[in-house]
Amino acid sequence: MKTTNENEFVTLVQKHQNLIHKICRLYTRSDAEHKDLFQEITIQLWKAYPKFRGDSKFSTWMYRVGLNTAITLYRKSKRRIQSQNIDDFSYKIPQAEPYDDTEDQQLELIYQAIKKLNDIEKALIFLYLENKNYKEISETVGISEVNARVKMNRVKKKLKKQLNP
Amino acid sequence: MKELERLKKDWKTNNNFPELSKEEIYTFLHKKSSSIVKWIFIISLLEFGFWSLIGLITKNSEAQQRFDSYNVDAIMMPLMVIGYIILIYFFVMFYKNYKEISNTDSTKSLMQKILKTRKTVKHYVIFNLVFLFISSIIGAVIEFSNNSDLKLTISQFENTNDLYIFYAIIGGITLIAIVVLLAILIGFYYLVYGILLKRLKENYKELEVIEVE
Repeated sequence: MKTTNENEFVTLVQKHQNLIHKICRLYTRSDAEHKDLFQEITIQLWKAYPKFRGDSKFSTWMYRVGLNTAITLYRKSKRRIQSQNIDDFSYKIPQAEPYDDTEDQQLELIYQAIKKLNDIEKALIFLYLENKNYKEISETVGISEVNARVKMNRVKKKLKKQLNP
Repeated sequence: MKELERLKKDWKTNNNFPELSKEEIYTFLHKKSSSIVKWIFIISLLEFGFWSLIGLITKNSEAQQRFDSYNVDAIMMPLMVIGYIILIYFFVMFYKNYKEISNTDSTKSLMQKILKTRKTVKHYVIFNLVFLFISSIIGAVIEFSNNSDLKLTISQFENTNDLYIFYAIIGGITLIAIVVLLAILIGFYYLVYGILLKRLKENYKELEVIEVE
């Protein structure tokens, strides 16, 4: 039987599920891994839910738990890693929208370059893409604002180098 | 960087993900977590159980009963009490560390707390190995001074002036046995935690590098 608390939580997660999907997209390399990580993030969010006081946005609170799960807590299953498909490495561009082919390819290359970054660099890029300022990035990752800025510039340079060798 | 700006635009608009229903999300809540923290806690409990079991198994053995007949409680009792006090201390620490770990901390702080937990487990294992080593030495000395068969053998060697060789062989065998046992335990320990914490350590190192740069 579902409790009110569970109902409330599930509604919030469903509403913000794209955020979890986006984290999974960066940190996993197959559909099976994506599902595994999504599940683990949901479990971790539920575990931390009693501490969520509502004084911050639910989505902001999700960033922290989601990234912590992806970077630190989640254990990749070996069986799943071995069964990964090479097609899963590239990000799937929706077919319905009328994209220019060249742009599609470029985007795919950028996603592939991001997949090659280490876990911390991915977190920085994720927070950057989510329009977080350096203060928020430094608080989420646990490093100083200056270092977050320095590291972000390095990640950008690294990506640029990968995309324009 | 124009590529990143393009990506940012796509990131916002492209939400081509499978839409999960409330029912599906609800089932996730009741699934078991495979979190690294849970595994560290399970392993530390197993280690705790393993050493307690060793104590229980040897308690009623023939060798232990013979050992008890030597009336060496004055040495063994304090050793046992110290052992149990330290065991309780470690158990409390395991639990405290485990409870302190929070997935809502910053990434670095979360990693620090996990590594602290692992450090406690490491200290616990070192304590057990040192305790095992000291107990073995004390036990061997008591056995040598009280065991009537050993006393007889020693007296035979005394007559042939080969006592030092006898001691060297016995001492050597005991030392090799202890070293082999320690190596197996240390190897097992590094294997288990090495696999479990490899990625976390790499990521933590990455954050530390940022701080010192």
